[in-house]
Parts: sequence; C-alpha cells; structure tokens
Amino acid sequence: MANKKFSKFEIRKSRNSLRTMTKNSNRHRLRAIRRIIKYGMLSFFRNIWLSVAATLVMTITLIILFVTVIASVILTNTADAMRSKIDITIFFKPETSERVLSDMTNIIKENPNIKSIQTATAKTEYQRFLKENSDDPNLLQAIKTDSELETIMLESMQATMRIKVYDPEKINEIKTLVKTNSTFSKAIDNTKPATYDVNSTEISTVTSWANIAKNGGLVIGAVFLVISILVIFNTVRMAIFSRREEIYMMKLVGADNSFIRGPFLVEAQMCGVISGIFASAIGFHGFRLLAPKFDAYGIDISSISKALFSYRLIFVFLIAITIGMLIGTISARLALRKHLR
Amino acid sequence: MILFDHVSKLYPGDSKPALDQVSLHIAPNEFVFLVGKSGAGKSTLIKMITKEEIPDGGKIIIGGIDLDHVKKRYIPHYRRRLGVVFQDYKLLPNRTTYENVAFALEIAGMSNKEIGRTVPKVLDLVGLADKAHKFPRNLSGGEQQRVSIARSVARQPKILIADEPTGNLDKLTRREIIELLQKINDYGTTLLVTTHDESIVNDLQKRVITLKGGRIVSDQKQGGTYRLDKETFVPPTKLATSPKIIRSAPRNNPTQLKRKVI
Repeated sequence: MANKKFSKFEIRKSRNSLRTMTKNSNRHRLRAIRRIIKYGMLSFFRNIWLSVAATLVMTITLIILFVTVIASVILTNTADAMRSKIDITIFFKPETSERVLSDMTNIIKENPNIKSIQTATAKTEYQRFLKENSDDPNLLQAIKTDSELETIMLESMQATMRIKVYDPEKINEIKTLVKTNSTFSKAIDNTKPATYDVNSTEISTVTSWANIAKNGGLVIGAVFLVISILVIFNTVRMAIFSRREEIYMMKLVGADNSFIRGPFLVEAQMCGVISGIFASAIGFHGFRLLAPKFDAYGIDISSISKALFSYRLIFVFLIAITIGMLIGTISARLALRKHLR
Repeated sequence: MILFDHVSKLYPGDSKPALDQVSLHIAPNEFVFLVGKSGAGKSTLIKMITKEEIPDGGKIIIGGIDLDHVKKRYIPHYRRRLGVVFQDYKLLPNRTTYENVAFALEIAGMSNKEIGRTVPKVLDLVGLADKAHKFPRNLSGGEQQRVSIARSVARQPKILIADEPTGNLDKLTRREIIELLQKINDYGTTLLVTTHDESIVNDLQKRVITLKGGRIVSDQKQGGTYRLDKETFVPPTKLATSPKIIRSAPRNNPTQLKRKVI
C-alpha cells in the first residue's frame, strides 16, 4: 500500500522540484525568515523553563540598568541643586553708592564663573528688611514712631553684593579678585566678613560629596551591569551548550549556519523583549512607589518623573526592549560561534 | 556513485592512520554493507562522505561531486544531496515527528505546500503516519530510527548513508529497519550501511566491504557470511555446510511475515 503511494514517478517529480528549490530567490529567503521566526517562537515555548530563567536574568539586568540611570540622574540633579544654593554675599560699608556698586559689578562680571550678581545699597537692604518683617506689626510700629531707631537701623545695614557661581570649586578666583581690587577694598566693610569665608568648608564638603556620590553611583552601576551581562551570557551559553547535539544534527542534515543560528537568535530576542517589558513595568511602578519618599527627603525628582511619565515613557520602554534584544542577540551569537565553526 | 581513491586520514596525535590508502567504488543503486570492529575506520569513512572530516590524501567523489572542490560555504548544499541516518537517531528533541521530517525539506527552501504533500507520504512509507504529532521522547527506539530514515529520504537523495542504523535496537526492530532500508534501495537509492551485526549482513546477502585497521581487507560482491569475532568471510559456497549460521538468520521471523502482509 505504502509502495503505491510513494511511487517511482513521485520520486522523479520531487527530484525536479528539489532542483528548483535550491535556487536562492527572494521568495526562498522570505520563506526561510518566516520559518526561522516560527521555530524560534516554538522553541521558546517548548523550552519554557530555560526561557523563563533567561528572561528573569535579563529582567534583573535591565532593572539594574534602569536604577543606575535614574540614580545617577537624581544624584546629578541633587548635586546641581545643592551647588546652586551656594552663593557668596559680600558686605560693603553702608554709605557705598549705587554707582560704586555697579562699577564693582562690571569688574567682577569679567569672571566667567559668575552666574548672576545682585547688588543692593544699604537703603534697599533696609526696605527689604521692612518687607520681610511686614507681618510683624510691633516692629513696624516701633520704627514708625521712633525716628532714632530708624537711623540706627539704617546705619546697621550694609550695601551687599550677592553672587551666584557656576562652579563652587572656583570661588577662590573671585575671592582673590575682591581682595586685590582697589575699588573693592575701599568699599568693603571690614566688620562683617564675606560669606565665602564663613561657608568655605561647607562649600567644599558639599561639592566633594556630590562628586563622590555621582561617580560612585556610576562605578557601582557599571560593575553591576558588567556582572549581570556576564550572567546572561553564561545562561545563554549553557542553554545553547545543552542543545549542541541538535546544532550538530542540523549541520549534518545540511542546514545553513544562518538557518541554525536564526531560531536561537529569535529565542534570545524574545527573552529580551519580554524582559524589557517586565523591567520597564517594574521600574516605572517602583519609581512611582518611591517618589513620595524622595520628596520627603527633600530630593527634587519632579523633573525626572515628568520626563519618565510623559512622552518619554514609550521611549524608555523601547530602549529597554532594544537593550534586552541586543544583549540576547550578542550573547547568543557569541555562544553559537563555537558550535557553528 | 561513491568513489574513494587512495584516501588516507591520520588524526593528530595518533600513531596509526584511521584510514590507510582506502580505494572503493560503489555503483548507483547498490546496497553495500561496511563492516568492521569499532576503530576499524568505518566512522571516519562516513565522516569523509559527509565532509565532516577532510582526508589527508586521496580523492573522494560522491554523486559526481569532487569533495575537494566543495567550498566550506557550500557544504550545507552538498549535504542536502545526501541522506544520513545515525545510530542515535539525532532527532530534534523538541520537534514532533512531522516537524523533524519537514525540517529536512525546510532547510532546502521547499514551499509549505510541497512539504505538506511530501511529509505524510514519507511518514506513510516508514509506517509512522499515525505518530506524526508525537515528540521523539514518546516514540520507541525503532520508531525514532524510522523518523530519522524518513527525514533522510524525504529529500529523495540519490545516496543514503546509514551509520550503525540498528546499533541501539532489538532483534525484531532491526529487521524492520533493514527491510525499510531495502525498500528505499529498491526505489533507486544507493545505500551504504555500516554495521557490526552479523545476522543482518548474512541474511541480506549484499555486497560487503570489510575494514580492518583502516584498510579494506575484503570486498565481497555477492555477500557471504561474516564472522565478526574472526573478522573474516566464509564464501557463499560454504554457507550450506554451516548449519549454525543458517540457524542464526531469522528467516521465519514473525515480524518479517507481518511486514510482508503490509
């Protein structure tokens, strides 16, 4: 019965089709790609435990990456915020006129480190003092009724110059400029030292800590990332090693290297995509949970959360998937190289 | 169909060559047994044909193709012209019977339509039509070997190489597999089968090439009686006088009868 179905005529007919099917046409290539994807997906589900393990390891790596990036952004932001709070206040004698102040402003502006300068004469300082204490009616009343007190107050005020800088570490330049310039030395009030003298130790501590935190975070993140990529690579390598017999068999049956490699790559990429989805979901959710805690510590993360939860959400998501796919593809390719030689 | 001309192979680190000046010719549509103890060079010879190993010297021509001229990137294309069957079946463990057979056609780029037409026929030929959607782990050894044979003949190769196809099977199953191979040979495929199973060789009375220490020690065109323990042949004329040997050939095997009915 079987013999009849598989007649010699059939064999000859099929042989002709064999001849045509070895042609490397575009249709042939498309067919191969379709089969590669199909078998990659099939194999992903049929080796489900291996796939789950690889996906989990990849998810952890991506989460580490996510945390590293977020942490370094937060640290940079915090450091910047701290630095921007550092300002220098120079006090001048009460009689210093507006003209002298603007002269000095022009001199100090030359320094590229200056972010902003605010000057005030003693009078404006006094008015600001009044404004700041406008909710204290007793004080206002006392000043209004007692003109002597007002003069004393006016005399005790100094003309000021508030300077904000870009780089707190270069404050010394400004300091020497102020010390050596004659216009400054004439006007400076020697009874009240400029605040960079008072804060200098704090300034240096803040800047050095910010640097340590930023660099340390990056280093730790990089180390974690390298370790987890090695773990992924090893997982993929083990998975492929356990199927080396299959690879050998496919080679003997006459499969092209690309046809053997393809399904493995598809499998690894599927792990990458799924772990990308998991990692970004966990990352976003974790971030949302932790956000109030950051706020409580006074760390400003509004800019990051705005960036994360607006249009960039999809962007971050795509990046996570791409990185997952890349790691999977590269490690599968490296692991396969030995077996496909 | 298969031509070896003074082929030698010395594996690095070995003192004796695995193949020593081996010359043989197998004509189209022949059924040839290659026998010898393990280490005689059978596997090396097979590996030469599949171009897994490259000879140190000599020439190999398979189906009109000079293997020296098959470049590395065309080896897969060359291998698609051969059918290969192994002792340990070498099936893809996570693909079904159908997919395993279809794989051989898919790598050659056959259309799904053609595959859908061919695979059931091939499975029918090997008698596994009802097990098309089982995984290899759910099949017996004999069934797995039949899947392996189905895979290798699905592409209608002119040459089928079988390396110890019955090595892992029991006596009854062995017969079935050999009958199947014979059937494939009847369709016009050249068969080269390595074995160290005396009963098969002696029962089929086909051409037998004996390897010993990497050399061909005998090439018996009309078959004969092979004695593995002595690595010698008893000429066919002496067969009748050796009742022991006749008894060893399972002629009245019930399986054989059953297969004949089909």
